[in-house]
Amino acid sequence: MIRIENLSFYYKRGRSDAGVNNINLKINMGEVVLLCGESGCGKTTLTRLINGLVPHYYDGDIDGTVFTHGKNVQKSTLYELSRIVGSVFQNPRSQFYTVDTYSELAFGCENQGLPVDEIKKRVDETIYFMEIEHLMGRSIFDLSGGEKQKLACASVWAASPKVLVLDEPSANLDEKAIEDLRAVLEKCKSAGITIIIAEHRLYYLKGLVNRVLFMENGQITKEFDAKSFFEMKDSQRISFGLRTLTPPTLSFSESANESHSAVLSNFKFKYKHSEIGISVKKVCIYKGAITAITGHNGAGKTTLLRCLCGLEKTAEGELWLEDEVHKRKKRLKNCFLVMQDVGHQLFCESVLDEVMISMPNADKEKALALLKALDLEKFASDHPLSLSGGQKQRVAIACAVASERQVILFDEPTSGLDLRHMEAVSKVIERLAQSGKTVLVTTHDKEFIKACCHYVLHMKNGEVTANRILKEVEKV
Amino acid sequence: MNTFLHTTAGKRHLRLDPRTKFALILCTSFTLVWGMSLIGVMAVVRPALAFVPAILLLFTPRLRVGIVYGILEILCFTAEITVFQSTTGFWNLILLPVCAIITRYMPCVVAAYYMMATTTVSEFIAGMERMNVTQKIVIPLSVMFRFFPTIVREHRCINDAMRMRNITASNPVSMLEYRIVPLIAAVAKIGDELSAAALTRGFGGDVKRSNVCEIGFGVQDIIILLISFGGAFTSILAKVGLI
Repeated sequence: MIRIENLSFYYKRGRSDAGVNNINLKINMGEVVLLCGESGCGKTTLTRLINGLVPHYYDGDIDGTVFTHGKNVQKSTLYELSRIVGSVFQNPRSQFYTVDTYSELAFGCENQGLPVDEIKKRVDETIYFMEIEHLMGRSIFDLSGGEKQKLACASVWAASPKVLVLDEPSANLDEKAIEDLRAVLEKCKSAGITIIIAEHRLYYLKGLVNRVLFMENGQITKEFDAKSFFEMKDSQRISFGLRTLTPPTLSFSESANESHSAVLSNFKFKYKHSEIGISVKKVCIYKGAITAITGHNGAGKTTLLRCLCGLEKTAEGELWLEDEVHKRKKRLKNCFLVMQDVGHQLFCESVLDEVMISMPNADKEKALALLKALDLEKFASDHPLSLSGGQKQRVAIACAVASERQVILFDEPTSGLDLRHMEAVSKVIERLAQSGKTVLVTTHDKEFIKACCHYVLHMKNGEVTANRILKEVEKV
Repeated sequence: MNTFLHTTAGKRHLRLDPRTKFALILCTSFTLVWGMSLIGVMAVVRPALAFVPAILLLFTPRLRVGIVYGILEILCFTAEITVFQSTTGFWNLILLPVCAIITRYMPCVVAAYYMMATTTVSEFIAGMERMNVTQKIVIPLSVMFRFFPTIVREHRCINDAMRMRNITASNPVSMLEYRIVPLIAAVAKIGDELSAAALTRGFGGDVKRSNVCEIGFGVQDIIILLISFGGAFTSILAKVGLI
């Protein structure tokens, strides 16, 4: 059982995460509780209060008490808590300590100092229970995002926790991987583990959770039982700023005979020492339209974007824009990729410098006007890396526009975003297309595709298997 | 995806104990950096130690690195024996430092590369624990060990972004700043998350950790250890003038 009484917590300065205040909560054994609400509402902080990262790892002012399975969290050490609570985090690349799957499963048990034979037995049982035989003997760096989250759950399971805490586990996953994640969670639930999930993507949890807590500004403002929550009307859901509660579906119309304005032809690329790569014969896309690229993790979506913008030196292929051929070097100058981790592509000391350096001829007036259009003028003199994720993304978009490049590519722009931020991103991308840019977006987010994309390319095993039209481009 | 420095556990053919690898790195560095020029017994000891990492790499999926490195060593040792004496002036000035770097420093780097590329984090921890190193040293070192691939990968992403944005700076200092600042930001964030994840799984508690990783010395370890310590010992003897 988890009991939180009159709890308030504020991070020490220098952290952008929101704190929580006046939380009173009781979670029974075996219950599955969903925490939802907009970014910055305090969901993550609440999960950290339960697993002890707050206040033992993240400093701050704490008031009130938290009990996790009879242990006072503030008075116990993280080590003691780790034997009760297992945690799965959002970012699969920073939650594995070892580099091979077997050691990772054993890691938690090893830390408890269990005898080696006991650990081996537990690891074997976990492999059987979680059905992850196919992941064994592999390097963690070679696993897909979905496989990593499965392994994360399994390695927590091996240490036999009483409580499982998950912080946006589905953020980087495709549909199939989300189904797998759900299956794993169902197993944990049936084993009687108490589960607390903080999540933006909600539909996959239907039928799994018992109770839903809605948070705003660090407080729990609404509480639902699962049935009434998932039967909520769409208008009400949108007013709460929540993502869809039913699995989103796309309905395509017949291919229109519109004349296309850009063609990708004969893109071929293979990674060194592996069979993985892409082979795209001929795909037509449209200027002034947004084309989504879908497909499972590992289908070659990101690789296609990298080849398109000329980053892969050994890739073959040509891009035709209005009957003008773009070879690799020219593409490198005429395409802009907004990366999934935008922090990698911002270098300057201020947002204004960042935009100016992208311009063919630096022009301060123009740069400021551009920042204003993207709602960034307040931050013109701030360091780009001090901004929030969404703001960084807009700075990158500002650079893309400033560089006057014709093709703008996005890699998973909406992973881990709440409804409001997702809609904001889709508006900005829509404006890019309306200004005549050719926009390509890789995404798993069907809600986002529905909101703004015109065409959908589907990729499988490195090939484009379908090119369908979702809606007409609105003439402005 | 990129595989540099990612350990290829499970795909290895020749398995060495992590302690053997430590010994190899130490002895190689000691003998090659401090050892004397290629006269007498050192004409055998130095090339022998320099070739050990090349031969070991041939047993891994990274055999191309091993071959290229082996050829470089052959060329430079040959140069040191043959053309050193006969060249003067400009060519001597070029040859001397190049050969010194390749025959004296590069083997240490390649031996370390071999260790990074073939040791899993748990093997590394197990090796350190068997040598009774305290947790205060094992934990930071293992974090570092876990971190090299991450730093390399983040660096590549930043490099790509710079190429894509066609960023060129007027002076090398700001060029360095453009690379280092985002790298530090990214690495600090990942390090933060990684530590949090490890702590929630009970790492660093006061209980003695157990380790499922089976390490131990085999015939291959004994051979490598003999070569390493033998080389180091001989070079000491040569230095003090006993051989």
